Amino acid sequence: MAASIHFERVSKCFGSAMAADNVSFQVTGGSFFSILGPSGCGKTTLLRLVAGFDTPDQGRIFIDGQDVTHLPPHKRPVNTVFQNYALFPHLTVRENIAFGLRIARKDSSHIVREVDKMLELIQMEAHADKWPDQISGGQKQRVAIARALVNKPKVLLLDEPISALDLKLRQKMLLELDLIHDEVGITFLYITHDQTEAMAVSDQIAVLHRGKIEQVGRPCELYESPRSSFVAAFIGDTNFLDGTVDVSVEKDYSQLHIEDFPPVLCFNDKKLSPGELVHLSLRPEKLRISREKPADHPLHNALKGVVEDVVYQGDHTKYWVRIGGYRLGVTQQHGRFLLDTQQITWKDEVWVWWHADDSYILERYDASDEKLIEAPSEKVGENEENEESKCEE
Amino acid sequence: MSRTVRWISYSAFFFLYLPVIVLIISSFNASRFGGAWEGFSLTWYQRLFHEPTIWNALTNSLIVAVYSSVLATILGLTSALSLHKYRSYLQKIHLGIILAPLVMPEILMGISLLFLFLAISVKLSLFTVFLAHTTFCISYITLLIKTRLESLENSIVEAARDLGASSWQVFWKITLPFLTPTLVAGWLLAFTLSLDDFVITFFVVGPGATTLPVYIYSMMKFGAPPLINALSTLILLFTAIITIVYYHIAEGDRS
Amino acid sequence: MRRIKEAMLTFPSFCWLFFFFIVPACLVYILAFKTADYTGKILPGWSLETFYSLFDSRSISLTIRTMWLSILTTGISIFIAVPLSYYMASCKKELQQKLLLSLMIPLWSSFLVRIFAWKVVLHPEGLVKTVLVFIGIIDEQTILLYNDIAIVIVMVYSYFPFAVLPLYSTASKFDFQLFEAAMDLGATKRKSFFSIYLPVIFPSILTASLMVLIPAAGAYVIPEIVGGNGAEMLGNTIVRRVFLDNNLPEASTLSLLLSVVVLIPAIVIATWKASHTSQIKGYS
Repeated sequence: MAASIHFERVSKCFGSAMAADNVSFQVTGGSFFSILGPSGCGKTTLLRLVAGFDTPDQGRIFIDGQDVTHLPPHKRPVNTVFQNYALFPHLTVRENIAFGLRIARKDSSHIVREVDKMLELIQMEAHADKWPDQISGGQKQRVAIARALVNKPKVLLLDEPISALDLKLRQKMLLELDLIHDEVGITFLYITHDQTEAMAVSDQIAVLHRGKIEQVGRPCELYESPRSSFVAAFIGDTNFLDGTVDVSVEKDYSQLHIEDFPPVLCFNDKKLSPGELVHLSLRPEKLRISREKPADHPLHNALKGVVEDVVYQGDHTKYWVRIGGYRLGVTQQHGRFLLDTQQITWKDEVWVWWHADDSYILERYDASDEKLIEAPSEKVGENEENEESKCEE
Repeated sequence: MSRTVRWISYSAFFFLYLPVIVLIISSFNASRFGGAWEGFSLTWYQRLFHEPTIWNALTNSLIVAVYSSVLATILGLTSALSLHKYRSYLQKIHLGIILAPLVMPEILMGISLLFLFLAISVKLSLFTVFLAHTTFCISYITLLIKTRLESLENSIVEAARDLGASSWQVFWKITLPFLTPTLVAGWLLAFTLSLDDFVITFFVVGPGATTLPVYIYSMMKFGAPPLINALSTLILLFTAIITIVYYHIAEGDRS
Repeated sequence: MRRIKEAMLTFPSFCWLFFFFIVPACLVYILAFKTADYTGKILPGWSLETFYSLFDSRSISLTIRTMWLSILTTGISIFIAVPLSYYMASCKKELQQKLLLSLMIPLWSSFLVRIFAWKVVLHPEGLVKTVLVFIGIIDEQTILLYNDIAIVIVMVYSYFPFAVLPLYSTASKFDFQLFEAAMDLGATKRKSFFSIYLPVIFPSILTASLMVLIPAAGAYVIPEIVGGNGAEMLGNTIVRRVFLDNNLPEASTLSLLLSVVVLIPAIVIATWKASHTSQIKGYS
């Protein structure tokens, strides 16, 4: 029952824009797989290709080993949960859920049984006879999920299903989706621009950028070992420093020259040669901060700076420290009772240090990606749609 | 299925334009009897320009159209403003009175106005035509303006108030400029409706005060001289231009 | 103070329409209860005489004829307008504008002229007849003009754009993703059209029907010009009573009848809509 999905060198153009550029990846049967990427062309296209609403210009798509590239949507063993739910306004909740089964001409007693089971799963038995415009956003979302699942598809496609809900509800629905996935056991293909969402529930994530797959892996792989600066910037927070490779110090370490900084040691598995322009990526939580100079260590980098901003968040504090031409973000978790210690505050002179293993070198980062990476606003919905559809027109 | 839909759609447009095209072609037909084709000719157009009765009728139509469309626009504006601004029981009745003419076939409106003028002993003339035209145009304009008013954000008016504007100033400096394209579109609509009206005019027009549609009708009823073809073609051209202008205004509105 | 301002703003249009619409309408309905002599003079006193004439066979057949032709016209117009509006709404934006404009231009041009155009088209020696005879669809004897066929054709022609307008307005607000949802759940495009699109726009179909039914029932010019001698509708009869027979009370009664014929569907539809609002929001 758990079907795999296989994209083989799939390309799709809309006018002059490449929505999918030679995309190949595999989704294991039964897994929760997310396609993650910023607003704009790409991820919804891939979803639509799997659902059958669009056909690729090149390449093939397989579901459970079967080539579905040219099958129309109603013949595919796939069901979709749409971003704005797409509930039929002239049918009640119950009738909406039953729709697919009626089309398939299942007999009435079977339909009634299955629909009731679904209503129970989504906890909407009391609302079964209401009209779509009488229920809330979260409830509509659940009905949309039930309507898709009741047909027992091999794959469930979810197109940013919770982006139109408010924050608290989003977190709740996300957990519910996870539970449903565990219970039902089918393959979920989940599209989102929100990396925290993707990391929370996915078995695997594919990061998509301008129609190309940047990296596929488990959430922690993407976070800890991003292969490109786009992935490093898009997932989680990071500090980027521009530098050039100086010399190789030991087998796996290189020394970097960064302007206004003392030489910085960094783990280098990319085999870059001296003189190459690179980015050094430092995650804020991997940096340590204190007023006192830390003890010397061959693999530690320690820099002196001045605190410019302090953002207190309760369980942690984020410091913005000016070092040379950079403003580094440093996150400090408060593991002990805070008020016992003398807290670091504005204008303090501090030391920031980290282990060379905890940073990584990436190729130069593209400035035009800046706006794509900025945290999207909470209520996305409309803007997202417009941006994506502009490209896909 | 899309093929069926497309086929019906193309047929519908063809159906819509077929008589128009045939008419235009016929207007160049040299034949006197409007039947078989006898050669290309512009005689009918030439004859048109020498028919004083046609010009008379046209002038009358234009006079009535101008006056009634302007008055209807003013009345439509006031009624739309009051419907939009106030929500009392009076307005409910007011809305009913505005909507009622739209559900009524023209012939009923024509006959009722005739009876009114007879009852109060007003002689039928161009003036009665003017009164009738104004009456049936008000409803269309009111709805047009009312719809547009609803898209004027309340916050803009409140911001103006907050900055010290009085009701009158708000109307003059904000509402009116906002409505101007709609007012022009509404006026154009009323103008066209008036120019083209036949049924209602037929009931209330007096002897000697013919409008163009009434004249055309009498020409049609008693034979069909090809003059009408030429006249009709010119009217079509004229309205095509007006419609395009209307749409540019109304669509420019939307942006 | 607010009350006075409201009254002042409402006054102009309210009074105008009251005096030039409500009062005249009442006059007509009142006159139905009177009688006139052969010169046209209104006789004093009230009577139901004119109502009796409604029940003779001629009047009944006239009413039935008018209703039948109007309903037929409405049916054909809806049959054309629903796919047409759907097609227009599914086109690209710029094309939609052009199509709308193309629809509007004939609509705005002279009503009389367009009816007259049909007289030319359906002319016994005209182009269309010649072509059809040539193809073999009809024979030389068939007359396309001056009968009920012509009336229906010309009425459909004149009124179907009025059905397209509200249907197009609704169609362009239709969430086409519902089609994708239906297909995703196993329905073909065709099934989706009938089980999703039509039910959802149904209220608009009702509105569009009214937009055609009302002018069709009260048609006067069309039957007069292309209907020929035997083809009368309520409209012609009313005009005849007023201008030829000088019988204003009978004209009034017929007008009353016409109002009823038009009001009944209007009220039925309005009531249906009022009782189904939560089911189909925004798709009127």
